[in-house]
Amino acid sequence: MEPFELSLTAAATEIESGTLSPRELTESVLRRIDETEEALGAFAHVCGDAARKAAAQAEREIADGRYRGPLHGIPLGVKDLYDTAGLPSTSSSQVRAGRVPETDAVAVARLLDAGMVIVGKTHTHEFAYGGLTPTTRNPWDTSRIPGGSSGGSGAAVAAGGCMVGMGSDTAGSIRIPASLCGTVGLKPTYGRVSRRGVASLSWSLDHVGPLARTVRDCALVLQAIAGFDRLDTGSVDVPVPDFTAGLDGGIVGLRVGVPSNYFFDRVHDDVDRSVRTAIGVLEGLGAELREVSIPYPDQVLAAEWAILMPEASAYHQETLRSKAELYTEQTRVLLEVGEMILATDYIKALRVRTLMQRAWADMFADIDVLVAPTEPFGAPLVGAMEANWPDGVAEDITMALVRLTSPANLTGMPSLSLPVGFDEEGLPLGMQVIGRPLDEATVLRVGRAYESASDTVGRIAPVVPPKG
Amino acid sequence: MTARSFSGDPIGHAARIARLDVTGRENMLGPVVEGIYALIDQLDEVPLGETPPAIGFDPRWEA
Repeated sequence: MEPFELSLTAAATEIESGTLSPRELTESVLRRIDETEEALGAFAHVCGDAARKAAAQAEREIADGRYRGPLHGIPLGVKDLYDTAGLPSTSSSQVRAGRVPETDAVAVARLLDAGMVIVGKTHTHEFAYGGLTPTTRNPWDTSRIPGGSSGGSGAAVAAGGCMVGMGSDTAGSIRIPASLCGTVGLKPTYGRVSRRGVASLSWSLDHVGPLARTVRDCALVLQAIAGFDRLDTGSVDVPVPDFTAGLDGGIVGLRVGVPSNYFFDRVHDDVDRSVRTAIGVLEGLGAELREVSIPYPDQVLAAEWAILMPEASAYHQETLRSKAELYTEQTRVLLEVGEMILATDYIKALRVRTLMQRAWADMFADIDVLVAPTEPFGAPLVGAMEANWPDGVAEDITMALVRLTSPANLTGMPSLSLPVGFDEEGLPLGMQVIGRPLDEATVLRVGRAYESASDTVGRIAPVVPPKG
Repeated sequence: MTARSFSGDPIGHAARIARLDVTGRENMLGPVVEGIYALIDQLDEVPLGETPPAIGFDPRWEA
């Protein structure tokens, strides 16, 4: 096994014991990027020299007895939406071409304090406004999309181009690429992790979090980045628990909600089968299954877009007027249309959001977590505009990509996506575990229980060129 | 509520109110605006009564 194939947890164990050095690990990852980048286009910027220097410094510190913990010397990819001091930070947009900030986003600073080694900036769908990431291809089949908007991080983590890829999630942008690329992805509770220094798409829906190979890897990253930031107005001032302490505690007696509506409507048969099989695994591990009905199913996408679009257009209001021609056409259209949504419709969506949040709280009176498909299908082909369902419905591909992930953005609840199988094309499929606000520990424990009992989590994608 | 009307030059009017120049782009924006409003109008089905908006969103249920 090459070092780039290791999970964060496995690499950290070897680094701490001295059987693997940060420099060996970083060189292995940089070689893997060299091998795969032409096919994948996962990175907006690769910083090999800076990574080698950081790895050498980590190696000296560890040799001197200053080991910082499990993230020390681990290669990291950072979504181009995040500010990184001294590195291009463009949100994968010509609007910000050449932009090099002087400071790091708070989450990046915390990961650097923990000793991580940045190997590059990963592509985002422009300004995170889409689920496709057109610059990038899926490492399981390069004729397909990686999902988005954190598609570069999904592709890079799945292919071995970094152990952790940071993402952001406004309508599913961590979990969508995690599901389509076969990685684990964690959207923490709204406010759990500071978003300061990360370009906003929608202030009231934005979350930041990691994509990684395993559930434990995500727990370790969350431990480093979680915490109150008084300069992020969405930040929640609550204690940060030990996210790894109870990871292997099992799920005997845990009440697992299985939706009777919404989440299993219009999903591919392979998704239905894989997720229900995974739910069976959880039951076999001692979980108690409870059927639940999802409230306000017809208002999920309506509320999501009625909130997201005006907030995005407000963020871009000035540059849409001064640099409109520098946006890609798709982003420009969405920003222009967002300017035409009435304030009363925006407020109505926020009022429905209040009811939705209360109804989800009531639903959780009888369950500890909800499990459901992350995506209705495996990775779509590049250029696919619609998903066609057996009932004759042709669903816009972007709407389909965010349909099952948006509820956790509207409610702010933590959601973990993990791979639970493959479709008939050999493409990975994801299941999400949604928990109570600020209860990432339980969400991670459920994911870890599944991970321990299956062989679907932690695989490296082979980087397969288009068929035919 | 009654259906929204997009007759005449609604995109041009909306853009002028927003102080946004979309000259020559109206035909491209029109279907997207109609599609988004068709989606948003599903919010009309929810009786809201005195429900306040989730401004300054806080995820905590007991906050």
